[in-house]
Amino acid sequence: MGGEDEANSWIRGDETAKQMLSRVLRDRAFLLLPPLNRVPLRAGNVVEITGASPSAKTQILIQAAISCILPKTWNGIHYGGLGKLVLFLDLDCRFDVLRLSEMLKHRLLQANRLGNGAWWQLEASNVKNSRASQDKSNNVYDEELYVSCMKRFMYVRCYDSLQLLSTLKTLHCRIRQQEACGSQVGVLMIDSIGAFHWTDRLSSSLALEKNNRKSLSLTNVVETIVQEVKKILQVHSLVVIATKATIYEEKFPTNETNRKFSSNEDLSGNASSKAQQTPFREFMPSSWQAFVTHKIIIRKSAYHQSLQTGQQSLSAYSLEWLQPQLSSIDRFIVDDSGIVIVT
Amino acid sequence: MAPLKHVERENPIIDASFRDFCASHGIQTVEDFLLHDLYELAAFAERQRNADRLKEGITFMLSLIELQCRPWLNGMELLEDLHRNKHTLSTGDKGIDSLLQGGFREGQVTELVGPSSSGKTQFCMQAAASVAEKYSARVLYLDTGNSFSARRIAQFICSSSDAALRQKVLSRISCQMVYDVYTMFDMLHGLEVTLRSQAQMNVNEDRLQLLVVDSISSLITPILGGSGSQGRALMVAVGYMLKKLAHEHNIAILVTNHTVGAGEGGRTKPALGETWKSIPHVRLMLTRDHRNNNCTISILKHTSMPAGHTVTTMTREDNTHCL
Repeated sequence: MGGEDEANSWIRGDETAKQMLSRVLRDRAFLLLPPLNRVPLRAGNVVEITGASPSAKTQILIQAAISCILPKTWNGIHYGGLGKLVLFLDLDCRFDVLRLSEMLKHRLLQANRLGNGAWWQLEASNVKNSRASQDKSNNVYDEELYVSCMKRFMYVRCYDSLQLLSTLKTLHCRIRQQEACGSQVGVLMIDSIGAFHWTDRLSSSLALEKNNRKSLSLTNVVETIVQEVKKILQVHSLVVIATKATIYEEKFPTNETNRKFSSNEDLSGNASSKAQQTPFREFMPSSWQAFVTHKIIIRKSAYHQSLQTGQQSLSAYSLEWLQPQLSSIDRFIVDDSGIVIVT
Repeated sequence: MAPLKHVERENPIIDASFRDFCASHGIQTVEDFLLHDLYELAAFAERQRNADRLKEGITFMLSLIELQCRPWLNGMELLEDLHRNKHTLSTGDKGIDSLLQGGFREGQVTELVGPSSSGKTQFCMQAAASVAEKYSARVLYLDTGNSFSARRIAQFICSSSDAALRQKVLSRISCQMVYDVYTMFDMLHGLEVTLRSQAQMNVNEDRLQLLVVDSISSLITPILGGSGSQGRALMVAVGYMLKKLAHEHNIAILVTNHTVGAGEGGRTKPALGETWKSIPHVRLMLTRDHRNNNCTISILKHTSMPAGHTVTTMTREDNTHCL
């Protein structure tokens, strides 16, 4: 509608090689931090992270969000971020901004301390060992940078499907306003996509479809969500990351009980047998499933005995890529500083 | 759902011809617009005689949709709201307060899970007494099992030797019996209306700061069961109403849940299943050792803390914890 001239000139005019190169380089694939580092993501990708609650799904979103809102460099220090906006659609309505703030501060301090921003290449244990000394010597971060990062995090909550649809309908305008101010959107996050599954299913049984009127049924709602997000992806170059809580009981709830006291050697053994069966009961309509390009599943695995906390054991999780299917499984724990990969 | 006819009163652009055009595409209410591709609709409008007027109508509808959205906030605005409006409230127990880094947070739903006679109700009453006393706040206690005891609450009040003060604290705690989920919906709707009108009139003294539901599971369990979606839909709806109340009116909400046997190995797990897990912000597990009266509280889920931390505390007979 608005960008008609822009569209026409795009259709008519051929790009020069230089223009094309700069466009391709601008939208090039990027890697997120572990545990999402196995597959490079590029604009247009839709990543779905499945896991029972709690399985650190929102935690992973927050970490990815921080990578997006951090600048690449600032005052000569390399932060390795994208310097773009994050749009966070909170359907679970339990996002905690304190967690974002704390993890961001943590990342800023880490980058400051190392100076060259290569901290994630260190072993997790090294990072921990040096934390005590860092707390004393270098406990300052750039307040201005912190504020500018936090302002790149855009948040909205939705209490029902109608609010979600309204938000998506007006999202394009919202993004354009932001772009007019000179900031680009990097990632659209949805936490979590199945939140209104049961209420939508109920309204499908109540609704009457007559006079070619569409009802607010589950399939229609999800189809419209997919349609709206697709439209946004056509116009804006961004990545969509959605979490999905498994809302059905696992059919084989044995793994957690049996594995509780066993060591981590069972992971390699189980990987092959898991591949054959569907790891969880899929409940999202096919329109959504077809829309997703990358699938990840997180499972709770054996408890991890942390050296730092002594007798307290932290939950450990294993992350597996289902699409594209990768054979490697990453194990991680969540502690006060965020996600820590364990081996 | 507002029929389009009612919208005409707001803006005459939604006239009979616009409504006819919409009806031909199966749109009768404002909500119907949400399911339609507005670009496609605008393209159809283009072919009509009165294209400009129709497109103006669609633009107006889009502005109505925009009003339905909640506002976008950036990280700094979220932090500001947190620091200004979402305080932490002491649970009345030092050990648990330090476990939760201060206590319950306003705006959050905290769930307490435990087998029967593990001290859930005691914990709730102690929290009610603590909040009513320390913050001069109103507390609403929704009781589903006739287990509320004013006498027990009075024992938890630190200044219970001062009769007048004790009276004052107790008068801030109101208890309501709720026996089924439908009454619960009524209650919560009524509460929301009251709170909203209070907010409009800027009534800020003796604000409601804690809502206790003891227990939420006894309201929801009877409607679950079977493969039908109705029970689960009602459960999710109650959960979202609680979350909305907590966030919009800065109330800390405490709900209790019982445990059920998981079958093999005699292990127990929280009732209400997988779907409920995404409702509470914080889940606490309460276990009690009956030999020495020790309670262990562990974090099953927390929005800003890794799960797994535990604390052990004693069940109090009286208000000695204040000394």
